[in-house]
Amino acid sequence: MGKTGVAHFLEHLAFKGTTRIGTTDWQAERVLLDQLDQLDGQIREAIATGKDPKALQAEFAQVQAQADQYVKSNEFGQIISQAGGVGLNAATGTDFTLYFYNLPANKLELWFSLESERFLDPVFREFFKEKEVVLEERRTGIDNPIRRLLQTMQDQAFSVHPYKRPVIGYEEDIRNLTRQDVQEFFETHYVPSKLTIGIVGDVEPQQVKQLAEAYFGRYTPKAATPSTISPEPPQTAPKEFTLELDHQPVYVEGYHRPAINHPDNAVYEVIAKLMSDGRRSRLYSQLVEQQQVALSASGSNGYPGNKFAHMILFLAFPKPGVSLEQLAQSLQAEIIKIQQEPIDLRDLERVKKQFKAEVLASLGSNGGMASNLVEAEVKLGDWRKLFEIIDRVEAVTPEDIQRVAKATFTEANRTVGRLVSKK
Amino acid sequence: MGFRRIWGVRAIYIWLCGLVLAGLMIFGNNTPASAAPRHYTDLEFPPLPEVRLPDYNRYELPNGLVVYLMEDHELPFISGTALVRVGDRWEPQTQVGLASLTGTVMRSGGTKQYTGDELNQLLEEGAASVEAGIGSDAGSVSFSSLTEDVEKVFGWFAGVLTEPVFAPEKLELAKSQSRGRIERRNDNPGQILGREFTKLIYGATSPYASLTEYATLDRIDRESLVKFHQQYFHPNNTMLGISGDFNPQQMQKLIQEKLGSWQPKQNLELPPLPEVNQVTIGGVFLIPQPRLNQSYVRIGHLGGMVKDRDYVPLNVLNEVMNSFGGRLFDEIRSRQGLAYDVYGFWSPQFDYPGVFVAGGQTRSETTVPFIKGILEEIDRLRTTPITPAELARAKDSTLNSFVFNFQTPNQTLSRLMTYAYYGYPQDFIFQYQKQVANVTAADIQRAAQGNFQPDKLVTLVVGNPETIQPPPNSSQSRGGGDRYYHSPRLAI
Repeated sequence: MGKTGVAHFLEHLAFKGTTRIGTTDWQAERVLLDQLDQLDGQIREAIATGKDPKALQAEFAQVQAQADQYVKSNEFGQIISQAGGVGLNAATGTDFTLYFYNLPANKLELWFSLESERFLDPVFREFFKEKEVVLEERRTGIDNPIRRLLQTMQDQAFSVHPYKRPVIGYEEDIRNLTRQDVQEFFETHYVPSKLTIGIVGDVEPQQVKQLAEAYFGRYTPKAATPSTISPEPPQTAPKEFTLELDHQPVYVEGYHRPAINHPDNAVYEVIAKLMSDGRRSRLYSQLVEQQQVALSASGSNGYPGNKFAHMILFLAFPKPGVSLEQLAQSLQAEIIKIQQEPIDLRDLERVKKQFKAEVLASLGSNGGMASNLVEAEVKLGDWRKLFEIIDRVEAVTPEDIQRVAKATFTEANRTVGRLVSKK
Repeated sequence: MGFRRIWGVRAIYIWLCGLVLAGLMIFGNNTPASAAPRHYTDLEFPPLPEVRLPDYNRYELPNGLVVYLMEDHELPFISGTALVRVGDRWEPQTQVGLASLTGTVMRSGGTKQYTGDELNQLLEEGAASVEAGIGSDAGSVSFSSLTEDVEKVFGWFAGVLTEPVFAPEKLELAKSQSRGRIERRNDNPGQILGREFTKLIYGATSPYASLTEYATLDRIDRESLVKFHQQYFHPNNTMLGISGDFNPQQMQKLIQEKLGSWQPKQNLELPPLPEVNQVTIGGVFLIPQPRLNQSYVRIGHLGGMVKDRDYVPLNVLNEVMNSFGGRLFDEIRSRQGLAYDVYGFWSPQFDYPGVFVAGGQTRSETTVPFIKGILEEIDRLRTTPITPAELARAKDSTLNSFVFNFQTPNQTLSRLMTYAYYGYPQDFIFQYQKQVANVTAADIQRAAQGNFQPDKLVTLVVGNPETIQPPPNSSQSRGGGDRYYHSPRLAI
């Protein structure tokens, strides 16, 4: 508690190097980094107790300048790009953190060397500067009204589950994070039993295994700390909220649904596609083309994550002159249709074929395949389940769709969000 | 080099279809002895095999349609694109939006054989697609299909390309969608920045910057779309590229059958390209958006073309400026913590002058230091040669990642067509590779001095005037008719 954003902040700091990468003299640098942590603590204490922090702040700036002398900025990323790496990046979501890039196949061992050292021996240098970078990243999100609408949706719809919180963290929490906090999070969660690697490309599996043992075999085994995440209790009454922002109106409604490993997951996949995938989808053909109440309307699963029970959302942008109420009614009518009328078998076949083709197309690039396999392994416990979903979708019946729609799209389970224009 | 993977994707597909679980192995059974881990500086790498272009076939139909075929049997898909010499730069300025609407309604409005709704149904039942679009300097109609459905899908594609009927109700829908986008175009600060910056550089009435407005939409009717399509969509003004899982003889036959009778246009004449000049020379402009916590900043001036002599050194310079180890990223982001997003790019176009742009987002309070930081870096590139380490990093990045230009046959095909479309040599990318290998720090400095022009840099900020420090000076109204466009004074 009070440390939201630490996983994402750590992801930024994982680009700062190690005791051997990113520094000209680790022994000298280390002393200064420790000093900075101490000074930072003293400055906070001074501010908290109403003392003047100016002298401490001046000292901090001086020590920071000294520490900077030893830093080889972004050396870790530079090594990768100089070796021909492309697409170097990382992403932190609600369910996991993913680090990824592509290297030419002859540099396979370079990947093993750099990635294993990266988490064997990380140094969270330039900590205070990077905190500013993260705060900038957060501001970009705050300045985006759609993101604020969705952020408020998760905040309102969830009462106890961490899906309530923004991945990037609350501002206050980010400001209060210390290097020690990041270190503790690292030691608790970056354990080998929680790490899954996916490699796809022009490589020999035997060699990959050999290298994996050599490089990642260096990690000390450590059991993962048991999860203490509380399940979200069922929502029992409708919720709604309105944001008044300098932006044209937007409507969103969301319903709680079970986690990705639930047997009905495939039914939800079919419902979302039926509602919003393509020009034949219910929302496009009805709301955009026929009734012309929306500029666009879509539905999606997996908000804000999907490892745990989460939400299916419907997001719509009204046409000029159409009220949010009118739009909500049209959307509601489509939802009721799904509940009350069995779906046409031709529509169901269409959605199933589209689903299959999409899974297949997602395997078209090495990067796409690697991330899909890793995600299935991590969330579903087995990479093969990536393909099982095809069979499950194939088995969905019109009755399944009505059953799940009736159970999910109830008034009590609904949260409505309205973004209205500030006058 | 082959495009080999751990296992064939095709094998997965077969497995998906419930036949066999072939070749799907993560690891074999033999556990080899472990090698000793090494620090990256101790590693040596075998050379990559030389890039080999996948075979392709280029031919021309008697009606002038140029065809490229490139087989790729990894997935059971076939995709294709007809690239048409057209663009919104050739639409009348009284009818801005005409080209884009033509592209949209070619597809949505249906063909002589099928209504748009029927096409939607047919395509989506086959997990296939046909899409059309016209951008600034090119138009395209493309399709993708499972191998088994290609005869049908290609027929629908050919219908959209050659016989669209522009159903009036679909034009009305597309126009009403356009009006909705106009109403929402100030919702996103990044969009305001991009649009207004382009207007500053090229001029609000340049075809490269002009915007679709309610008034220009009102002047567009079905007849205008029909005419615009008739003016440009001819086989002798089009090239067709198809890649994927096909048999070449069958594909040639299919093309002949569906497009062989497409009548060429005699004496085809295309309008000249619009003239390009930088209309605003220097200056700092602010578009007030009081809701923002951050300033969205773009700094730049008119740039050049890909065929220019300095293209190569300036591209290498892009590497020096950006990403991990790049000057802007290292200095403004990592060392000063002023931004999450910061960039600087020489961004040329193929057949008209592009732009040089730098910028990013920073909190309102640091707007001025952020801009100054970027200007200093631009200046430093002009005045001091880059270091040998920077040169090596920039060149190595380009040369070592060269293989990623050839990830799929489709990528290679689309590049070949792009070169052909703009009149560049087919081996342009290999010439580029050679020139990068030979570029020197002196070449780069010369290119920076010759092409970066500090006096011409225009700075545009979309941000909150209340919190920018030091605050902007008294407002100086600027013509141009856009209500967001005033107060052009920041103390930089």
